[in-house]
Amino acid sequence: MKNSMMKKLLCAAVSAMMLFSAAACGESGGTGEDKSLQKVMDAKKMVLGLDATFKPMGFTNENDEIVGFDIDVAEEVCKRMGIELELYSVNWETKEQDLNAGTIDCIWNGLSVSDERKQVMLMSEPYMNNEMVFVVNGKSDITALSDLKDAKIGVQNGSTALEILNASEVVATNGATPVELSTNVEALNQLELNMVDAVFLDSVVANYEIVSTGKDYKVLEEGLSSEQYAIGFRKGDQALCDKVTATLKEMVADGTLAKISTEWFGSDVTTIGK
Amino acid sequence: MDFEAIKKVTLILLEYLPNTLSLFAWTLVFSIPVGMVVTWLKKCRCKPINWLTDLYILIMRGTPLMLQIIAFYYAIPMIVASAVNSGRTGGIIPILQGIMNHPDYMIIALVVSFSLNYAAYFAEIFRGGIEAIPKGQYEAAQMLGMTKIQTFFRIILPQVTKRVIPATANEVIVLVKDTSLANVIAFAEITMKAKQQMNFYSSIMPLFIAGVFYFVMNAVVTAVFSFVEKKFDYYK
Repeated sequence: MKNSMMKKLLCAAVSAMMLFSAAACGESGGTGEDKSLQKVMDAKKMVLGLDATFKPMGFTNENDEIVGFDIDVAEEVCKRMGIELELYSVNWETKEQDLNAGTIDCIWNGLSVSDERKQVMLMSEPYMNNEMVFVVNGKSDITALSDLKDAKIGVQNGSTALEILNASEVVATNGATPVELSTNVEALNQLELNMVDAVFLDSVVANYEIVSTGKDYKVLEEGLSSEQYAIGFRKGDQALCDKVTATLKEMVADGTLAKISTEWFGSDVTTIGK
Repeated sequence: MDFEAIKKVTLILLEYLPNTLSLFAWTLVFSIPVGMVVTWLKKCRCKPINWLTDLYILIMRGTPLMLQIIAFYYAIPMIVASAVNSGRTGGIIPILQGIMNHPDYMIIALVVSFSLNYAAYFAEIFRGGIEAIPKGQYEAAQMLGMTKIQTFFRIILPQVTKRVIPATANEVIVLVKDTSLANVIAFAEITMKAKQQMNFYSSIMPLFIAGVFYFVMNAVVTAVFSFVEKKFDYYK
Protein backbone atom coordinates (compact mmCIF):
# COMPACT_ATOMS: atom_id res chain seq x y z
CA MET A 1 0.00 0.00 0.00
CA LYS A 2 1.66 3.14 1.18
CA ASN A 3 5.08 3.56 -0.25
CA SER A 4 7.32 6.34 0.84
CA MET A 5 8.29 8.69 -1.89
CA MET A 6 8.25 11.38 0.73
CA LYS A 7 10.67 9.58 2.98
CA LYS A 8 13.73 10.85 1.14
CA LEU A 9 12.62 14.39 1.69
CA LEU A 10 11.57 13.78 5.24
CA CYS A 11 14.69 12.01 6.26
CA ALA A 12 17.25 14.10 4.46
CA ALA A 13 18.91 15.01 7.72
CA VAL A 14 18.73 11.50 9.09
CA SER A 15 20.23 10.07 5.94
CA ALA A 16 22.98 12.63 6.04
CA MET A 17 23.71 11.60 9.59
CA MET A 18 23.64 7.96 8.63
CA LEU A 19 26.08 8.54 5.79
CA PHE A 20 28.26 10.50 8.14
CA SER A 21 28.34 7.83 10.80
CA ALA A 22 28.72 5.06 8.21
CA ALA A 23 31.67 6.91 6.74
CA ALA A 24 33.11 7.46 10.20
CA CYS A 25 32.86 3.81 11.05
CA GLY A 26 34.10 2.59 7.71
CA GLU A 27 32.78 -0.77 6.57
CA SER A 28 29.60 -1.59 8.44
CA GLY A 29 28.93 -5.05 7.15
CA GLY A 30 27.69 -6.57 10.39
CA THR A 31 29.33 -9.15 12.55
CA GLY A 32 28.45 -12.02 10.23
CA GLU A 33 26.52 -14.01 12.78
CA ASP A 34 22.73 -13.81 12.64
CA LYS A 35 21.49 -13.36 16.20
CA SER A 36 18.10 -11.93 15.25
CA LEU A 37 16.04 -14.95 16.35
CA GLN A 38 18.08 -15.38 19.53
CA LYS A 39 17.59 -11.70 20.37
CA VAL A 40 13.82 -11.97 20.08
CA MET A 41 13.70 -15.24 22.05
CA ASP A 42 15.92 -13.79 24.80
CA ALA A 43 13.81 -10.66 25.07
CA LYS A 44 10.71 -12.89 25.06
CA LYS A 45 9.01 -10.39 22.79
CA MET A 46 8.84 -9.33 19.19
CA VAL A 47 8.17 -5.67 18.49
CA LEU A 48 5.83 -5.16 15.54
CA GLY A 49 5.91 -1.72 13.93
CA LEU A 50 2.76 -0.44 12.31
CA ASP A 51 0.97 2.71 11.26
CA ALA A 52 -2.26 1.66 13.04
CA THR A 53 -4.45 3.39 10.46
CA PHE A 54 -4.66 0.63 7.86
CA LYS A 55 -8.04 -1.03 7.96
CA PRO A 56 -8.48 -3.96 8.18
CA MET A 57 -4.83 -5.04 8.47
CA GLY A 58 -3.86 -3.10 11.57
CA PHE A 59 -5.76 -0.11 12.90
CA THR A 60 -6.91 1.67 16.05
CA ASN A 61 -10.50 0.93 16.99
CA GLU A 62 -13.02 3.08 18.85
CA ASN A 63 -11.62 1.93 22.19
CA ASP A 64 -8.12 3.01 21.23
CA GLU A 65 -6.92 -0.59 20.85
CA ILE A 66 -4.88 -1.77 17.91
CA VAL A 67 -6.68 -4.57 16.09
CA GLY A 68 -6.70 -6.09 12.61
CA PHE A 69 -6.00 -9.14 10.51
CA ASP A 70 -2.23 -8.73 10.65
CA ILE A 71 -2.38 -8.23 14.40
CA ASP A 72 -4.41 -11.40 14.98
CA VAL A 73 -2.01 -13.40 12.81
CA ALA A 74 1.05 -11.92 14.53
CA GLU A 75 -0.44 -12.65 17.97
CA GLU A 76 -0.88 -16.29 16.99
CA VAL A 77 2.63 -16.52 15.53
CA CYS A 78 4.14 -15.10 18.71
CA LYS A 79 2.04 -17.38 20.89
CA ARG A 80 3.41 -20.37 19.01
CA MET A 81 6.96 -19.06 19.35
CA GLY A 82 6.36 -18.66 23.09
CA ILE A 83 6.97 -14.93 23.12
CA GLU A 84 4.98 -11.75 23.61
CA LEU A 85 3.86 -9.50 20.79
CA GLU A 86 4.48 -5.82 21.37
CA LEU A 87 2.85 -3.27 19.08
CA TYR A 88 4.72 -0.09 18.34
CA SER A 89 3.25 2.84 16.43
CA VAL A 90 5.54 4.28 13.80
CA ASN A 91 5.17 6.97 11.23
CA TRP A 92 4.84 5.20 7.89
CA GLU A 93 7.23 7.62 6.17
CA THR A 94 10.07 6.84 8.56
CA LYS A 95 9.40 3.15 9.28
CA GLU A 96 12.70 2.06 7.72
CA GLN A 97 14.59 4.25 10.21
CA ASP A 98 12.79 2.57 13.10
CA LEU A 99 13.63 -0.84 11.70
CA ASN A 100 17.30 0.00 11.22
CA ALA A 101 17.55 1.70 14.58
CA GLY A 102 16.25 -1.48 16.23
CA THR A 103 13.18 0.15 17.80
CA ILE A 104 11.08 -2.47 16.04
CA ASP A 105 11.81 -6.03 14.87
CA CYS A 106 9.47 -6.12 11.89
CA ILE A 107 6.98 -4.13 9.85
CA TRP A 108 3.78 -6.11 9.53
CA ASN A 109 1.04 -3.82 8.32
CA GLY A 110 -0.11 -4.65 4.79
CA LEU A 111 3.37 -3.93 3.50
CA SER A 112 3.44 -4.22 -0.30
CA VAL A 113 6.33 -6.04 -1.88
CA SER A 114 8.38 -3.84 -4.19
CA ASP A 115 11.89 -3.99 -5.60
CA GLU A 116 12.67 -0.70 -3.94
CA ARG A 117 11.75 -2.09 -0.53
CA LYS A 118 13.67 -5.31 -1.08
CA GLN A 119 16.81 -3.21 -1.24
CA VAL A 120 16.32 -1.69 2.19
CA MET A 121 14.69 -4.55 4.09
CA LEU A 122 14.38 -8.29 4.15
CA MET A 123 10.93 -9.24 2.91
CA SER A 124 9.27 -12.48 3.91
CA GLU A 125 7.37 -14.72 1.54
CA PRO A 126 4.18 -12.83 0.53
CA TYR A 127 1.15 -13.95 2.54
CA MET A 128 -1.69 -12.43 0.54
CA ASN A 129 -2.62 -10.74 -2.71
CA ASN A 130 -4.02 -7.29 -3.08
CA GLU A 131 -5.49 -5.75 -6.18
CA MET A 132 -5.60 -2.02 -6.83
CA VAL A 133 -9.16 -0.98 -7.61
CA PHE A 134 -11.29 2.06 -8.41
CA VAL A 135 -14.20 2.98 -6.17
CA VAL A 136 -16.99 5.24 -7.45
CA ASN A 137 -20.26 6.51 -6.03
CA GLY A 138 -23.15 4.05 -6.30
CA LYS A 139 -25.07 6.41 -8.57
CA SER A 140 -22.09 7.21 -10.80
CA ASP A 141 -22.25 6.50 -14.57
CA ILE A 142 -18.70 5.20 -14.46
CA THR A 143 -18.71 1.45 -14.95
CA ALA A 144 -15.43 0.70 -16.70
CA LEU A 145 -11.90 2.05 -16.92
CA SER A 146 -12.71 3.72 -20.25
CA ASP A 147 -15.34 5.88 -18.50
CA LEU A 148 -12.61 7.41 -16.37
CA LYS A 149 -11.62 9.71 -19.24
CA ASP A 150 -10.77 13.17 -17.84
CA ALA A 151 -11.96 12.05 -14.42
CA LYS A 152 -10.47 13.28 -11.16
CA ILE A 153 -9.18 10.33 -9.17
CA GLY A 154 -8.43 10.58 -5.47
CA VAL A 155 -5.39 8.60 -4.33
CA GLN A 156 -3.30 8.43 -1.18
CA ASN A 157 -0.01 10.23 -1.63
CA GLY A 158 3.27 8.50 -0.91
CA SER A 159 1.66 5.19 -1.78
CA THR A 160 2.37 2.49 -4.31
CA ALA A 161 -1.19 3.24 -5.51
CA LEU A 162 -0.12 6.66 -6.74
CA GLU A 163 2.82 5.23 -8.68
CA ILE A 164 0.66 2.55 -10.27
CA LEU A 165 -2.02 5.07 -11.16
CA ASN A 166 0.42 7.51 -12.72
CA ALA A 167 1.97 4.76 -14.81
CA SER A 168 -1.40 3.43 -15.98
CA GLU A 169 -3.10 4.30 -19.24
CA VAL A 170 -6.01 5.82 -17.31
CA VAL A 171 -3.79 8.77 -16.46
CA ALA A 172 -1.16 8.57 -19.17
CA THR A 173 -3.45 8.39 -22.22
CA ASN A 174 -7.01 8.99 -21.04
CA GLY A 175 -6.20 12.27 -19.36
CA ALA A 176 -7.51 11.49 -15.89
CA THR A 177 -6.04 13.64 -13.12
CA PRO A 178 -4.80 12.11 -9.86
CA VAL A 179 -5.77 14.12 -6.80
CA GLU A 180 -3.25 13.38 -4.05
CA LEU A 181 -4.68 13.14 -0.56
CA SER A 182 -2.99 12.20 2.64
CA THR A 183 -5.30 9.32 3.60
CA ASN A 184 -7.75 6.96 1.95
CA VAL A 185 -10.40 8.22 4.36
CA GLU A 186 -10.08 11.75 3.00
CA ALA A 187 -10.17 10.40 -0.53
CA LEU A 188 -13.42 8.54 0.15
CA ASN A 189 -14.84 11.61 1.88
CA GLN A 190 -14.10 13.67 -1.20
CA LEU A 191 -15.78 11.03 -3.32
CA GLU A 192 -18.89 11.25 -1.19
CA LEU A 193 -18.89 15.05 -1.65
CA ASN A 194 -18.35 14.59 -5.42
CA MET A 195 -15.07 16.49 -5.24
CA VAL A 196 -13.43 13.59 -7.06
CA ASP A 197 -15.02 11.14 -9.51
CA ALA A 198 -13.29 8.01 -8.29
CA VAL A 199 -10.83 6.81 -5.66
CA PHE A 200 -7.98 4.44 -6.42
CA LEU A 201 -6.94 2.22 -3.53
CA ASP A 202 -6.20 -1.29 -2.26
CA SER A 203 -9.09 -3.70 -2.77
CA VAL A 204 -8.62 -4.97 0.79
CA VAL A 205 -9.25 -1.49 2.15
CA ALA A 206 -12.02 -0.70 -0.34
CA ASN A 207 -14.04 -3.81 0.42
CA TYR A 208 -13.70 -3.40 4.16
CA GLU A 209 -14.59 0.28 3.99
CA ILE A 210 -17.74 -0.35 1.96
CA VAL A 211 -18.94 -3.08 4.29
CA SER A 212 -18.09 -1.27 7.52
CA THR A 213 -19.44 2.19 6.66
CA GLY A 214 -22.44 0.97 4.64
CA LYS A 215 -22.00 3.94 2.31
CA ASP A 216 -23.15 3.78 -1.27
CA TYR A 217 -19.90 3.06 -3.07
CA LYS A 218 -19.14 0.48 -5.73
CA VAL A 219 -15.91 -1.09 -6.84
CA LEU A 220 -15.20 -1.20 -10.59
CA GLU A 221 -14.68 -4.74 -11.77
CA GLU A 222 -11.62 -3.82 -13.75
CA GLY A 223 -8.66 -3.03 -11.53
CA LEU A 224 -5.03 -2.30 -12.20
CA SER A 225 -1.94 -4.27 -11.29
CA SER A 226 -2.11 -6.53 -8.30
CA GLU A 227 0.49 -6.63 -5.59
CA GLN A 228 1.39 -8.76 -2.63
CA TYR A 229 1.70 -8.15 1.10
CA ALA A 230 4.67 -9.43 3.04
CA ILE A 231 6.40 -8.86 6.38
CA GLY A 232 9.45 -6.63 6.43
CA PHE A 233 12.48 -7.49 8.59
CA ARG A 234 15.85 -5.85 9.06
CA LYS A 235 18.37 -6.77 6.40
CA GLY A 236 20.33 -9.73 7.70
CA ASP A 237 17.66 -10.92 10.15
CA GLN A 238 17.20 -14.10 8.11
CA ALA A 239 16.81 -16.39 11.14
CA LEU A 240 13.87 -14.43 12.54
CA CYS A 241 12.26 -14.15 9.11
CA ASP A 242 12.58 -17.91 8.55
CA LYS A 243 11.13 -18.71 11.95
CA VAL A 244 8.10 -16.45 11.43
CA THR A 245 7.54 -17.83 7.92
CA ALA A 246 7.78 -21.40 9.19
CA THR A 247 5.29 -20.63 11.96
CA LEU A 248 2.92 -19.08 9.42
CA LYS A 249 3.14 -22.24 7.30
CA GLU A 250 2.38 -24.30 10.37
CA MET A 251 -0.74 -22.19 10.81
CA VAL A 252 -1.66 -22.79 7.17
CA ALA A 253 -1.33 -26.53 7.68
CA ASP A 254 -3.65 -26.69 10.69
CA GLY A 255 -6.15 -24.22 9.22
CA THR A 256 -5.64 -21.42 11.78
CA LEU A 257 -4.61 -18.87 9.17
CA ALA A 258 -7.67 -19.65 7.05
CA LYS A 259 -9.81 -19.23 10.15
CA ILE A 260 -8.40 -15.80 10.98
CA SER A 261 -8.76 -14.76 7.35
CA THR A 262 -12.41 -15.80 7.33
CA GLU A 263 -13.05 -13.72 10.43
CA TRP A 264 -11.76 -10.58 8.75
CA PHE A 265 -12.49 -11.07 5.04
CA GLY A 266 -15.26 -13.66 4.95
CA SER A 267 -13.04 -16.11 3.08
CA ASP A 268 -9.49 -17.42 3.00
CA VAL A 269 -7.59 -14.79 1.03
CA THR A 270 -4.12 -15.81 2.11
CA THR A 271 -1.62 -17.14 -0.42
CA ILE A 272 1.31 -18.32 1.65
CA GLY A 273 2.15 -22.02 1.42
CA LYS A 274 -0.26 -22.60 -1.47
CA MET B 1 -20.75 10.24 13.57
CA ASP B 2 -23.39 10.16 16.29
CA PHE B 3 -23.22 11.75 19.72
CA GLU B 4 -22.07 8.52 21.39
CA ALA B 5 -19.10 8.27 19.01
CA ILE B 6 -18.16 11.91 19.52
CA LYS B 7 -18.17 11.32 23.26
CA LYS B 8 -15.94 8.26 22.85
CA VAL B 9 -13.44 10.15 20.71
CA THR B 10 -13.43 13.06 23.16
CA LEU B 11 -12.64 10.70 26.02
CA ILE B 12 -9.76 9.14 24.10
CA LEU B 13 -8.36 12.59 23.28
CA LEU B 14 -8.73 13.62 26.93
CA GLU B 15 -6.70 10.59 27.92
CA TYR B 16 -3.84 11.75 25.67
CA LEU B 17 -4.15 15.45 26.48
CA PRO B 18 -1.50 15.17 29.26
CA ASN B 19 1.05 14.13 26.61
CA THR B 20 0.33 17.25 24.57
CA LEU B 21 0.38 19.41 27.69
CA SER B 22 3.64 18.01 29.02
CA LEU B 23 5.37 18.58 25.69
CA PHE B 24 4.03 22.14 25.74
CA ALA B 25 5.01 22.82 29.35
CA TRP B 26 8.51 21.32 29.19
CA THR B 27 9.23 23.21 25.99
CA LEU B 28 8.24 26.49 27.62
CA VAL B 29 10.27 25.72 30.74
CA PHE B 30 13.44 25.16 28.70
CA SER B 31 13.07 27.37 25.65
CA ILE B 32 12.61 30.70 27.46
CA PRO B 33 15.80 30.48 29.57
CA VAL B 34 17.75 29.05 26.63
CA GLY B 35 16.37 31.89 24.50
CA MET B 36 17.71 34.40 27.03
CA VAL B 37 21.14 32.79 26.92
CA VAL B 38 21.08 32.88 23.12
CA THR B 39 20.17 36.60 23.19
CA TRP B 40 23.08 37.18 25.54
CA LEU B 41 25.46 35.21 23.30
CA LYS B 42 24.29 37.15 20.30
CA LYS B 43 24.89 40.46 22.07
CA CYS B 44 28.27 39.38 23.40
CA ARG B 45 31.34 41.09 22.03
CA CYS B 46 33.21 38.01 20.92
CA LYS B 47 32.76 37.77 17.13
CA PRO B 48 33.12 33.97 16.69
CA ILE B 49 30.39 33.43 19.31
CA ASN B 50 28.16 35.88 17.43
CA TRP B 51 28.69 33.98 14.22
CA LEU B 52 27.94 30.64 15.82
CA THR B 53 24.79 32.06 17.41
CA ASP B 54 23.71 33.49 14.06
CA LEU B 55 24.28 30.11 12.44
CA TYR B 56 22.26 28.37 15.14
CA ILE B 57 19.35 30.79 14.72
CA LEU B 58 19.55 30.50 10.94
CA ILE B 59 19.35 26.70 11.07
CA MET B 60 16.61 26.57 13.69
CA ARG B 61 14.42 29.12 11.96
CA GLY B 62 15.43 28.11 8.46
CA THR B 63 14.48 24.44 8.52
CA PRO B 64 11.10 22.90 9.33
CA LEU B 65 10.53 21.90 12.94
CA MET B 66 9.15 18.61 11.66
CA LEU B 67 12.53 17.80 10.11
CA GLN B 68 14.34 18.81 13.29
CA ILE B 69 12.16 16.46 15.32
CA ILE B 70 12.97 13.55 13.03
CA ALA B 71 16.67 14.40 13.03
CA PHE B 72 16.91 14.62 16.83
CA TYR B 73 14.84 11.52 17.44
CA TYR B 74 16.72 9.25 15.05
CA ALA B 75 20.22 10.63 15.48
CA ILE B 76 21.16 8.60 18.57
CA PRO B 77 19.63 5.25 17.47
CA MET B 78 21.32 5.66 14.07
CA ILE B 79 24.73 6.31 15.56
CA VAL B 80 24.36 3.38 17.96
CA ALA B 81 23.13 1.01 15.22
CA SER B 82 26.00 1.82 12.89
CA ALA B 83 28.55 1.60 15.68
CA VAL B 84 27.23 -1.79 16.80
CA ASN B 85 27.19 -3.03 13.20
CA SER B 86 30.83 -2.20 12.82
CA GLY B 87 31.58 -3.97 16.09
CA ARG B 88 32.40 -0.92 18.17
CA THR B 89 30.76 -0.95 21.56
CA GLY B 90 33.12 1.14 23.64
CA GLY B 91 33.40 4.87 24.30
CA ILE B 92 30.18 6.80 24.40
CA ILE B 93 28.10 4.02 22.80
CA PRO B 94 26.85 2.54 26.14
CA ILE B 95 25.86 6.04 27.27
CA LEU B 96 23.96 6.64 24.03
CA GLN B 97 22.30 3.23 24.36
CA GLY B 98 21.26 4.16 27.88
CA ILE B 99 19.67 7.35 26.57
CA MET B 100 17.79 5.69 23.74
CA ASN B 101 16.53 2.86 25.94
CA HIS B 102 15.25 5.29 28.53
CA PRO B 103 11.47 4.85 28.79
CA ASP B 104 10.98 8.58 28.21
CA TYR B 105 13.40 8.83 25.31
CA MET B 106 10.72 9.96 22.87
CA ILE B 107 9.47 12.88 24.94
CA ILE B 108 13.04 13.84 25.83
CA ALA B 109 14.00 13.99 22.16
CA LEU B 110 10.86 15.99 21.45
CA VAL B 111 11.45 18.48 24.26
CA VAL B 112 15.07 18.95 23.16
CA SER B 113 14.13 19.63 19.55
CA PHE B 114 11.15 21.85 20.42
CA SER B 115 13.15 23.81 23.01
CA LEU B 116 16.10 24.43 20.70
CA ASN B 117 13.75 25.54 17.94
CA TYR B 118 11.65 27.82 20.11
CA ALA B 119 14.70 29.24 21.89
CA ALA B 120 15.85 30.65 18.55
CA TYR B 121 12.57 32.50 18.10
CA PHE B 122 12.47 33.68 21.71
CA ALA B 123 16.06 34.90 21.43
CA GLU B 124 15.14 37.14 18.54
CA ILE B 125 12.06 38.44 20.35
CA PHE B 126 14.14 39.28 23.44
CA ARG B 127 16.86 40.89 21.33
CA GLY B 128 14.24 43.04 19.63
CA GLY B 129 12.97 44.07 23.05
CA ILE B 130 16.44 45.01 24.30
CA GLU B 131 17.33 46.94 21.17
CA ALA B 132 14.11 48.94 21.37
CA ILE B 133 15.35 50.68 24.53
CA PRO B 134 16.77 54.12 23.63
CA LYS B 135 20.51 54.60 24.08
CA GLY B 136 19.80 57.66 26.24
CA GLN B 137 18.63 55.47 29.08
CA TYR B 138 22.00 53.70 29.29
CA GLU B 139 23.70 57.09 29.31
CA ALA B 140 21.38 58.41 32.00
CA ALA B 141 21.97 55.34 34.16
CA GLN B 142 25.71 55.76 33.72
CA MET B 143 25.41 59.38 34.82
CA LEU B 144 23.61 58.19 37.97
CA GLY B 145 26.62 56.03 38.72
CA MET B 146 25.02 52.64 38.02
CA THR B 147 27.18 49.78 36.90
CA LYS B 148 26.40 47.96 33.66
CA ILE B 149 24.82 45.08 35.52
CA GLN B 150 22.70 47.39 37.66
CA THR B 151 21.60 49.28 34.54
CA PHE B 152 20.52 46.07 32.85
CA PHE B 153 18.60 44.58 35.74
CA ARG B 154 17.07 47.76 37.18
CA ILE B 155 16.45 49.92 34.12
CA ILE B 156 16.46 47.83 30.94
CA LEU B 157 15.03 44.42 31.91
CA PRO B 158 11.73 45.67 33.43
CA GLN B 159 10.99 47.62 30.26
CA VAL B 160 12.03 44.78 27.98
CA THR B 161 9.75 42.37 29.84
CA LYS B 162 6.70 44.54 29.18
CA ARG B 163 7.56 45.01 25.55
CA VAL B 164 8.15 41.36 24.68
CA ILE B 165 4.92 40.06 26.21
CA PRO B 166 2.70 40.38 23.09
CA ALA B 167 5.29 38.77 20.80
CA THR B 168 5.94 36.02 23.36
CA ALA B 169 2.20 35.34 23.60
CA ASN B 170 2.14 34.87 19.83
CA GLU B 171 4.94 32.33 20.03
CA VAL B 172 3.34 30.44 22.91
CA ILE B 173 0.05 30.18 21.02
CA VAL B 174 1.88 28.82 18.00
CA LEU B 175 3.64 26.34 20.30
CA VAL B 176 0.31 24.92 21.49
CA LYS B 177 -0.56 24.08 17.91
CA ASP B 178 2.96 23.00 16.95
CA THR B 179 2.85 20.19 19.52
CA SER B 180 0.78 18.39 16.88
CA LEU B 181 3.97 18.06 14.80
CA ALA B 182 5.14 15.46 17.31
CA ASN B 183 2.96 12.96 15.51
CA VAL B 184 5.67 12.64 12.82
CA ILE B 185 7.52 10.32 15.16
CA ALA B 186 4.24 8.74 16.31
CA PHE B 187 4.21 10.44 19.71
CA ALA B 188 0.81 9.64 21.22
CA GLU B 189 -0.57 13.17 21.41
CA ILE B 190 -4.06 14.30 20.51
CA THR B 191 -3.55 14.90 16.79
CA MET B 192 -2.20 11.41 16.27
CA LYS B 193 -5.07 9.90 18.24
CA ALA B 194 -7.56 12.05 16.31
CA LYS B 195 -6.07 10.81 13.04
CA GLN B 196 -6.39 7.20 14.15
CA GLN B 197 -10.00 7.73 15.15
CA MET B 198 -10.64 9.59 11.91
CA ASN B 199 -9.41 6.49 10.16
CA PHE B 200 -11.56 4.20 12.27
CA TYR B 201 -14.80 6.13 11.77
CA SER B 202 -13.96 7.07 8.17
CA SER B 203 -14.94 10.58 9.11
CA ILE B 204 -13.03 13.84 9.54
CA MET B 205 -15.03 14.68 12.66
CA PRO B 206 -12.29 13.59 15.15
CA LEU B 207 -9.97 16.24 13.69
CA PHE B 208 -12.55 18.91 14.52
CA ILE B 209 -12.80 17.57 18.04
CA ALA B 210 -9.02 17.86 18.31
CA GLY B 211 -9.41 21.40 16.93
CA VAL B 212 -11.71 22.24 19.83
CA PHE B 213 -9.04 20.99 22.25
CA TYR B 214 -6.42 23.33 20.74
CA PHE B 215 -8.91 26.17 20.74
CA VAL B 216 -9.66 25.77 24.43
CA MET B 217 -5.96 25.52 25.31
CA ASN B 218 -5.25 28.70 23.38
CA ALA B 219 -8.20 30.51 24.93
CA VAL B 220 -6.57 29.78 28.29
CA VAL B 221 -3.14 30.93 27.06
CA THR B 222 -4.68 34.13 25.70
CA ALA B 223 -6.44 34.85 28.98
CA VAL B 224 -3.25 34.24 30.97
CA PHE B 225 -1.26 36.58 28.76
CA SER B 226 -3.81 39.38 28.86
CA PHE B 227 -3.74 39.11 32.65
CA VAL B 228 0.07 39.24 32.65
CA GLU B 229 0.02 42.17 30.25
CA LYS B 230 -2.27 44.10 32.59
CA LYS B 231 0.04 43.36 35.53
CA PHE B 232 2.96 44.85 33.66
CA ASP B 233 0.97 47.80 32.39
CA TYR B 234 2.67 50.51 34.40
CA TYR B 235 4.63 53.67 33.48
CA LYS B 236 2.87 54.35 30.22
